[in-house]
Amino acid sequence: MSSWKPGVKREIVSLVVIALIFLGFPAALWAYQARQTQVPGVRVIDITANAPANGGWQPDAIRVNLGERIRLRISSSDVVHGLEVPALGIAVGQILPGHVEQVDFVATRAGRFPFACTRWCSVDHWRMRGVIQVIDPENPNLALPTAAAPLFQQLGIDIDARHPAHAVPTQRPSAARGALVALDVSGDLHVQSPSDVFAAWRADAALPPRSDAQLWDAVAFAWKRAAGDDAISRGQRLYARDCAACHGESGKGDGPAGRNLPGMSAMDPMRNRGPADFTDASSMLGASDVLLQGKILRGGMGTGMPEWRSLYTDQDLWDVIGFLRSFVFDYGPGK
Amino acid sequence: MATSRFELTRVPIVKKVLVSRWLQWSLTAITLPFFLLVILAGFLGTPVGSRNFGIVFVWIVWWALLILLMLPFAGRLWCAMCPIPVAGEWLQRRALVQPREHARLYTLGFKWPRRLNNMWLQNVAFLAVALFSVVILTTPFASALVLASFVIVALVTSLLFERRAFCRYLCPVGGFIGLYSQLAPVEVRVKDRALCATHREKICYVGSDAGYGCPWLVFPAALDKNTYCGMCTECLKTCPLDNVALYARPFAADLSTNKGRRLDEAYKAFILLTCALTYSVMLIGPWSMLKETAYAVGAPGWWLYAIGFLASNVAIVPGIFYACVWLGKRIGQAAISTRQLFIEQAYALVPLGLAAWAAFSLSFVLTNFSYAWQVLSDPFGWGWNLFGTADWTWTPYFAGGQSLFQFPILLVGLIGALAIALRTARQQRISPRAALPPVAFCVIFTLALVWLYV
Repeated sequence: MSSWKPGVKREIVSLVVIALIFLGFPAALWAYQARQTQVPGVRVIDITANAPANGGWQPDAIRVNLGERIRLRISSSDVVHGLEVPALGIAVGQILPGHVEQVDFVATRAGRFPFACTRWCSVDHWRMRGVIQVIDPENPNLALPTAAAPLFQQLGIDIDARHPAHAVPTQRPSAARGALVALDVSGDLHVQSPSDVFAAWRADAALPPRSDAQLWDAVAFAWKRAAGDDAISRGQRLYARDCAACHGESGKGDGPAGRNLPGMSAMDPMRNRGPADFTDASSMLGASDVLLQGKILRGGMGTGMPEWRSLYTDQDLWDVIGFLRSFVFDYGPGK
Repeated sequence: MATSRFELTRVPIVKKVLVSRWLQWSLTAITLPFFLLVILAGFLGTPVGSRNFGIVFVWIVWWALLILLMLPFAGRLWCAMCPIPVAGEWLQRRALVQPREHARLYTLGFKWPRRLNNMWLQNVAFLAVALFSVVILTTPFASALVLASFVIVALVTSLLFERRAFCRYLCPVGGFIGLYSQLAPVEVRVKDRALCATHREKICYVGSDAGYGCPWLVFPAALDKNTYCGMCTECLKTCPLDNVALYARPFAADLSTNKGRRLDEAYKAFILLTCALTYSVMLIGPWSMLKETAYAVGAPGWWLYAIGFLASNVAIVPGIFYACVWLGKRIGQAAISTRQLFIEQAYALVPLGLAAWAAFSLSFVLTNFSYAWQVLSDPFGWGWNLFGTADWTWTPYFAGGQSLFQFPILLVGLIGALAIALRTARQQRISPRAALPPVAFCVIFTLALVWLYV
């Protein structure tokens, strides 16, 4: 220090200030963030939502213990995303880019709880999935419940085979007109296609004479009655949220996100490219609910159709199918 | 212009502040935490630019202060407080405030290569940054990486070369500020050049116990424009004859003379003017595809953009101007070489260029300034709310009324350009008609910007 001029003191003061800026300032920032993210008795988990092309959910697999208090801090790095896990009471309608959304929950049920982005974030939106696994420390196997085989497998239905209707109506069947006829379906409606039911009624000599149009109206009514108005409305909301981007609002398979998808042509080059057209009477009336359920829950195996088994409950599936029928059946205003 | 200057250092408090050794340290001690936060937020914060302090405070707040306030009214004031070179400078000096004995510098002391004793490297550096600007301006990580690399280059340069070689010869922003600081109504100048001529020691250049020799490698007595004066005020501290002062002066006083006009500086004017136009077209014009192309670095379209961008800056715009000058020379039957006239007339683009940058900056600064309140409370995008402003909604200021400011600014820039073009012709003793084609160039350029903005 011998070469210092009289200003040694000011050098020390200035050095201390600069050291505070370089060391103290970042330390203060770090401490503040630690204080923000550490809550006594609560495990804080940071999740970043990215469009699938940028990595999807990070992390996409979260393990928590039964009874644990959890705080999810979710931020988006690119566009608006959404997150819902109804079984755990998690509902974040929108995760805005650069914002942090916090949601607290207590994992009261053991099991696997898959989740997906609930906002159409990108073309590959449907790939944006994750899972919360709630483990019961005393019985960890409970977290992996054995699911029953889906109905289409139990019934041995080939959901990839063509399934044209035996007959198609010349006009759109009306459930309202069908209510006036109100025929009963024998057996489980879900395993029969509408055209099967139509054919059965047409062949039933015991029924009073009806025109084809009247019978198709009765078929429409039977499906609407089996689904129920509330379920159809709920299915409509699910369809808008999860299906419309590819299959289109009108169900014609013309949604913007489905433009470059191979569709069933990935399995059979003779078939049409792109998402299924739900307004195609032949294929829709030739398909049973169980067949449609199989297609939805399994997905398209390379066609671009995602699997929904991990995300949808059985009720979700039936509700969506109930609504899908409205593309060929006239269910009345708003459906 | 000496008669129209006012010596601000006659005001005792101004003098006291300027000769204080604490001045520059204090300024950088203020900017340094902000800069540190910018770097940390860029590397660690949200990648969403509009919610990241690093992007919002550098490219909106600082940029607005620089272009709209500091540059036009205080010249190189920013260079006096810039945090980028201070780490290198402090290491070089091994001191923060008080100089070591005889203002000794601890550097390998290489001399800056004579061939590079100009603005060309700054022109290249500016073009390199400008080429990737759409990415740098919107991607926090890229922005922080660029700023951090400036610090590293400045540090290495300080250890290798004498004084502030980085600021003087390399800093891309430094060249920008230097060119336009000629328009500012302040200057650091010697009071009496004759007195300097008789003073053998040249302490203002070599330094003393009172302060460092000019860090910008300028001999103050030879200073006749702001371009290379970093306003660090070391010369005010070291001059034993009290012969250096801070003056208030008319705007654009440095451009009243055509002395010392150079091709490297002329090219800086072209590059800045072209970039102002390019950014206006790309970011404000109705062609969003251009912006997307500029963002897609490495894609085939980007290479086309890169070639077009560089060609416009280096060849097309200067080429058009050269043709204008050549035509003017023919019209005015001037005896001066076309090259020399090209260099001299290019200085007319200085006021027009700053006006273009100011108008361009206004368009996005007013639109996006409200992001500043959000990132002030949540600089990293981590969900903080330090001042309760994190959730303030984005609000464009003076929406729809920006052109009320832009048009007069461009008009002032154009008038300045015309005045300098005509004055240059007069100084060269050639017919004012020789200035008409360059004037037409300026008018067409201004009209193009007006069309884009209005």
